[in-house]
Amino acid sequence: MPGSESDSYALTVSGLHKRFGSLEVLKGVSLLAREGDVISILGSSGSGKSTLLRCINLLETPDEGIVTVAGETILMRKTSKGRSVPADRRQVDRIRSELGMVFQNFNLWSHMTILENLIEAPIHVQKRPRAECLEEARALLDKVGIGDKANFYPTHLSGGQQQRAAIARALAMRPKVMLFDEPTSALDPELVGEVLRVMRSLADEGRTMLIVTHEMGFARDVSDRIIFLHQGLVEDEGPPAELFGNSKSERFRQFIATERS
Amino acid sequence: MMDAAFIWESFSRLIAALRVTMSVWALSVFFGAFIAAGVTWMRGSGVKPIEWFARAYIFVFRGAPLLVQLFVVYYGLSSFPVVRASIFWPFLRDAFNCATLSCALCTAAYQSEIFRGALAGVPHGQVEAARACGMSGFLLFRRVIFPIALRQALPAYSTEVISMVKATALVSLVTLWDVMSVALKIRNDTLVTYTPLLIAGAIYFVVNYLIARAFIFIEQWLSPHLRARSA
Amino acid sequence: MAWTTALGFGERGWGPALLEGAVLTLLVSIAGLAIGAVFGSLVAWAKLSGARVAAAIGEGYAAIFRGLPELLVVYFVYFGSSAALTGLDHLFGGEGFLGVPGFAAGALAVGVISGSYQAEVFRGAFLAIAKGELEAARAVGMGRWLSFHRIIAPQVLRFALPGLGNLWQVALKDSSLISVTGLSELMRTSQVAAGSTHQPFTFYVAGGALYLALTSISDRVFEFAEARATRGMRREAHR
Repeated sequence: MPGSESDSYALTVSGLHKRFGSLEVLKGVSLLAREGDVISILGSSGSGKSTLLRCINLLETPDEGIVTVAGETILMRKTSKGRSVPADRRQVDRIRSELGMVFQNFNLWSHMTILENLIEAPIHVQKRPRAECLEEARALLDKVGIGDKANFYPTHLSGGQQQRAAIARALAMRPKVMLFDEPTSALDPELVGEVLRVMRSLADEGRTMLIVTHEMGFARDVSDRIIFLHQGLVEDEGPPAELFGNSKSERFRQFIATERS
Repeated sequence: MMDAAFIWESFSRLIAALRVTMSVWALSVFFGAFIAAGVTWMRGSGVKPIEWFARAYIFVFRGAPLLVQLFVVYYGLSSFPVVRASIFWPFLRDAFNCATLSCALCTAAYQSEIFRGALAGVPHGQVEAARACGMSGFLLFRRVIFPIALRQALPAYSTEVISMVKATALVSLVTLWDVMSVALKIRNDTLVTYTPLLIAGAIYFVVNYLIARAFIFIEQWLSPHLRARSA
Repeated sequence: MAWTTALGFGERGWGPALLEGAVLTLLVSIAGLAIGAVFGSLVAWAKLSGARVAAAIGEGYAAIFRGLPELLVVYFVYFGSSAALTGLDHLFGGEGFLGVPGFAAGALAVGVISGSYQAEVFRGAFLAIAKGELEAARAVGMGRWLSFHRIIAPQVLRFALPGLGNLWQVALKDSSLISVTGLSELMRTSQVAAGSTHQPFTFYVAGGALYLALTSISDRVFEFAEARATRGMRREAHR
């Protein structure tokens, strides 16, 4: 049972281990996110940042460790072969519906219009009434600035528009925590700004956000906390001012030096 | 040979036989689809013996000529006393049933590979996004995987369906009176070779053309997302 | 007669006949594929050349033979070529009926059908060759014939192999339809044996098994050929 301490956190992760074959990608990662926290996860490729995010909503299954979302711990069990699997698939689906994920490659459903993309999960997973979902979807599209594209198909939109639509789709689920997996890495440079603007406004609203990103400036300006991962472990962690100004980690200082170029 | 009355008479007889051709075709494609769905499921089941069976099925029914398959079912099965005594006999005695069954089994193997390719072609990212929203199981299949796979499968499926129309001509060799066998009969009766064959050819050609157009129409109707946007 | 005897190589066994049938099937399919290659490359060339009339004829040919049942084409070619040959003979004063041997008619029928599909395979293979390679050949001073048979043809063959592999399997199966001409290929031999021994199941299954054996061996051969042909080629991104 979650202790009273984890009840006050929007998301807790403790002791996450993840192996792919013989390669151990996460070697014991923990983090805490209070409601309203905006946490940026930085690190070089191979550090395990995407894997960490994907373990939270179980797109990857952690081998060890506990994930708790809004006080509810995801139950795991071991198979006869010793593999770790979720114990209750319904719980996984439910928790996923409380987490909104934004992917690097947008992953909008190509056979549905933008509007249909937004109302799909609210109607079929959360079983909310269609009229309510439609209204909310239109409002969200306006909010991210593509209200006029509601009846377009994803392939007809630019990368930046598609990503904003993907963000709106995640918001349509009324998530408790939003997960961003390198949201701007697949965008042409001139389209990055429009997506970052939307993310900044979400942060200003007080949403709980976990962002894996390479955008140093954005991470620095918008986050409450930065987590620096190196080879599967948390090397350093703290408010941006502290880390960017005066990090205890030599590696982090090297990292921001190379990224800056 | 080019006598108008003869042409008209041949034509009407051949059109009447089209009913047999189209029945065999429609029933075998239809039931073949269900068998194919089962085979595809087995192929991807993850259980080795079941997978192996599905792969063997596909190998046999795609590798052997349809004519051999037809003869095995129609002439081969009926030679066994145990089959003639079984509950299946009333069904298997009938040439139409045998032919349709055999064609269904054959097209199922081809359709199964089409389904498999289409399912594999569904972009993995879109499936992940659906999972990330809490979709799983049948809901995930019904709302995301199947619609996308269906659109991917259409071109190849159209080709297979038209192949089946052409394949039905073989049922003329297991005593059915389809367009092919009626054309040959007219030739045998009247000693006129080309006219009945040409008319039969024209009929097959038109049917195939119409089916191809129908599929193009369906593809366009299902894929507004692939058309260029004028806005 | 036990089925083992019926299929066997003894005095009353049909084993040798079936194997001979299989060989004939192989030969007529190869002939058919070769004829198809001729038609196919002609049509591909017509379409690629941009000459409107030739391209239209090519497309018409392909459309016709893709829209007709293979069995119908076999009958048509068989009866048609016999009639043509007879007519030719009559022109020279002959009488009576001259039948075209089943092998020739069958190979022609399979070839004409195969050609309509091979055209697309060749066309696609040609288009897949990087234009730069052709330009480089010209730049070095290679004439048209030289650049064709040293640069274009080998490359087209490489890119066309997978498609041709499929069409070969199709030709093998289509060849079973030639049985209606009476040619003693595998299908016809199975039929005759089945009738003679009253063991249809045995012989049709055996015939099927032999077709499957031919298919499997062909698979291996094509795999090997593709592997050799694509040595050093730029691999497409396989995800």
